[in-house]
Amino acid sequence: MRPPANEGHPVLDPVLAAPFPQAAFTVLRNTQLRKNVAHATDVIQGKRNRLVAEKADWQELRSAASAVRTHVLENLGHYLEQFEERCTAAGGTVHWAKDAAEARAIILDILREEQASEVIKIKTMTSAEIQLNPAIEAAGIKAFETDLAEIILQLGDDEPSHIVVPALHVNRTQVREIFARKMNLPELSDDPKELTAAARTFLREKFLRVPTAISGANFLIAETGSVVIVESEGNGRMCLTLPRTMITLAGIEKVIPRFHDLEIMLQVLARSATGERMNPYSSLWTGVTPGDGPQRFHVVLLDNGRSDILARRGERQTLKCIRCGACQNTCPVYRQTGGHAYGSPYAGPIGAILTPQLMHLEHAQTLPYASSLCGACYEVCPVKINIPEVLIDLRAQVTDKERDEERRFFDPMYLGMRIANFIFASAGRFRLAQRMGRLGLRLFTRNDGWIHSLPSLGARWTMTRDLRGLPDETFREWWAARDRKGE
Amino acid sequence: MRASLFITCYNDTLYPETGRAVVRLLERLGVEVEFRAAQTCCGQMHANTGFRTEAYSQAKRLVRLYQDAETVVIPSSSCVAMIRDQYSGLIEELGNQELREQFAALLPRVYELSEFLIDRLGVDDVGAYFPHRVTYHASCHGLRALGLGDRPFRLLAKVRGLELVALENLDRCCGFGGTFSIKNAEVSSAMLSTKLLDVQKTGAEYCTALDNSCLMHLGGALHRQFAAMKTVHLAEILASTEADLMETTP
Amino acid sequence: MKMAPISRQAILDRIRKATGGGAPDVAGSYAGLHRDYVRAGKLGAEERIALMIERLREYDAEVVETAPDSLAEATQGQLAASGRRRFVAPAGLPAEWLAEGFEWQIDRGLSTAEIEQAEGVVTAAFCGIADSGTIVLHHSAAEGRRIISLLPDWHLCVLRASQVVETLPEYFARCSEAPVLATYISGPSATADIEMTRIKGVHGPRFLHVIVVRDDVTAR
Repeated sequence: MRPPANEGHPVLDPVLAAPFPQAAFTVLRNTQLRKNVAHATDVIQGKRNRLVAEKADWQELRSAASAVRTHVLENLGHYLEQFEERCTAAGGTVHWAKDAAEARAIILDILREEQASEVIKIKTMTSAEIQLNPAIEAAGIKAFETDLAEIILQLGDDEPSHIVVPALHVNRTQVREIFARKMNLPELSDDPKELTAAARTFLREKFLRVPTAISGANFLIAETGSVVIVESEGNGRMCLTLPRTMITLAGIEKVIPRFHDLEIMLQVLARSATGERMNPYSSLWTGVTPGDGPQRFHVVLLDNGRSDILARRGERQTLKCIRCGACQNTCPVYRQTGGHAYGSPYAGPIGAILTPQLMHLEHAQTLPYASSLCGACYEVCPVKINIPEVLIDLRAQVTDKERDEERRFFDPMYLGMRIANFIFASAGRFRLAQRMGRLGLRLFTRNDGWIHSLPSLGARWTMTRDLRGLPDETFREWWAARDRKGE
Repeated sequence: MRASLFITCYNDTLYPETGRAVVRLLERLGVEVEFRAAQTCCGQMHANTGFRTEAYSQAKRLVRLYQDAETVVIPSSSCVAMIRDQYSGLIEELGNQELREQFAALLPRVYELSEFLIDRLGVDDVGAYFPHRVTYHASCHGLRALGLGDRPFRLLAKVRGLELVALENLDRCCGFGGTFSIKNAEVSSAMLSTKLLDVQKTGAEYCTALDNSCLMHLGGALHRQFAAMKTVHLAEILASTEADLMETTP
Repeated sequence: MKMAPISRQAILDRIRKATGGGAPDVAGSYAGLHRDYVRAGKLGAEERIALMIERLREYDAEVVETAPDSLAEATQGQLAASGRRRFVAPAGLPAEWLAEGFEWQIDRGLSTAEIEQAEGVVTAAFCGIADSGTIVLHHSAAEGRRIISLLPDWHLCVLRASQVVETLPEYFARCSEAPVLATYISGPSATADIEMTRIKGVHGPRFLHVIVVRDDVTAR
């Protein structure tokens, strides 16, 4: 049921998670998970591609979306202050949390003020980022996820593996097993219709009863102080309409300038995230409306490392992200490993650049290398984040850190790179290295002219691939001989 | 027309037959080929692994080496992508004004092989003969970074005797990714096995591409599995004629 | 929450430092952003309505067209065919739509429990977006509070043809003011969380019926 990675409950804490190659190694043997992930990503990608193909102005939309997001980040302070002012004027209370600990403290303070014993939640990766649920539970408050995927994960003691379809690594049989056990429905079949109906019944009474809700936000609108949430199931609408108190947790980068900018963002988000022209339900609300919806409304603006990313010229584009998940769906690495291997609520290409940066590169240093730099993510990103460019940037930062560390002398990759650079600096040295390499590799070359097994780093190649033995004559040797013959 | 061949560090050492094929092909088309012996590497491996300063010094060498070359032809789309996409950033960060200018002057003269044939020479029929069933693998750099589009297909379409079989999921990465193939060897191999399903399905005798890096990865696994398919760089197909069939490799 | 003011300033200071304070003329910079995407639709009125109806039907919504003077009849017909009796209606719903023979609960502050008892709801709408088959509610008096179009299982929406636009930007062009509350409905609720199999009707009305009033016909 759960992927065997990390021996049991998947660890989505970058501080504790195993390095990517190690996490991936375990997960790759879970063929059920790989099948589920390949199927799910194929389906969404197929739908996305069809809709993008029919949209004649798709590239113009991407350009506009990227331009608006870039503009917001350049003027983030202005727009956040405007949002705060308008939201407050409309009856909301805006809080600022510099890090995860502060965000948790603010939210728990509100829950205690509300004397909440239970809370219902709309899916938000940001709450996973700040590890909110364990903190709520520790305070003796029960937190109920209300997205179908999140219930599957919560009841199954599992973790999300995708930004938009968090339980895509779980198949129907596994869901049936979880629901039958935790909802006490032993007769339940594995028909998705029945499973969904079970979830509907399970949640209905919670929607009608629990007076406090926590949500994330897809967009914060500076001009009006409004919040926008897009969803498919309707649990969002339930949570933001029925309770007395609503707490919205949002990263500071979620803000967009004006209501009208949604005409771009909604078009690119729905197509990229779920392959639809529009999500089944999108909701917009502004502060508090007497008689309609929660009468107490809090927004918790979260920094938690975002302002540091903002400061770096090449990496700032990371914050343009609108959490559509298209990069995950198209990534050939993610396809093989699913999300848990990334050890973070943010997985796939966006996770590989966002997570290490939120960790100030003190953790998750293997994530920037969890990519073949194929560029498929950049191609589909609706806001044109050049993910490969940021990955390469982060690799340089990780390497620069290593330059000052003792361990570099024991790292064959580091040593190999330094030696290679020394060799490439001179054609004479390069020729010599070629000759030495040819000679040395002869030891490993079999009668058929191929190498089947190498030591050290080479073993990482030969574990699944042969390597043709070095030819007797390099190109430059052939050219030099040809030159001498005066051809 | 003069072309200065940048053979690339790995072609020079591991696939010299590709270089010989490029020379044969271009000379057959009336191009005067030169080879500057001072060349080594474009710096991609270092840049992509995080060794930026090292990559810069290699970039500097390359830019200075080809200052006065009429054109530079490179049988490797990833190396061309390195020059086109990353050199200006490196030079901006670590370089000087003179180098910036030298690079700006050089850039329009750098061509990947299929670009050189189609765009610069204006030919798609190079007089090639290769009577085999072939499938073409689109390496990611060629596909996305260089936007090679239908250039390789136009060239293949004119090769006499060649039967081209389309590769499904053409735009999915084979999993090589440079040092990724070592640092994440397991995932790289998983991606490789997924790719080989599509490649084998074509029933082709040869899998070709514009990058020997991908072919080393694909071909290495095909060889390990005693598969009946071989890999070959597109240059060698294009260099092959009735009179001068593709060299048999050791 | 004494921490909050300190963090607020600290965060804004960090942002200011990171962005160099931002552009001197934010509004000008914003106005200068390129928007080359499609704004206006290309379809004529007939095609636009046809597209709206097609999209709605793709979502398994039931759609009927009616002339303005047959609206009361059409409403009656939809309500009768539903097999339901108890309906909620917003306080501002036109009286002619409150067909005879049904139990009407007008929402002048109904409790959640009372709304939960209803079998269906009838509302007007603000706009329809044909390209995506979206019904837009701004929750005016005739559209009602959000809760009444959320809890009942059956929703009848009366949409005028003159309210239908083709593209999403055209909807925004109609909003001279941004709405305080808005709900955008593009099909009944659905989930694809289990093996990507689309299942309809998780929360929110499972049955959506739309009457398209051809108030545009005489205006041609």
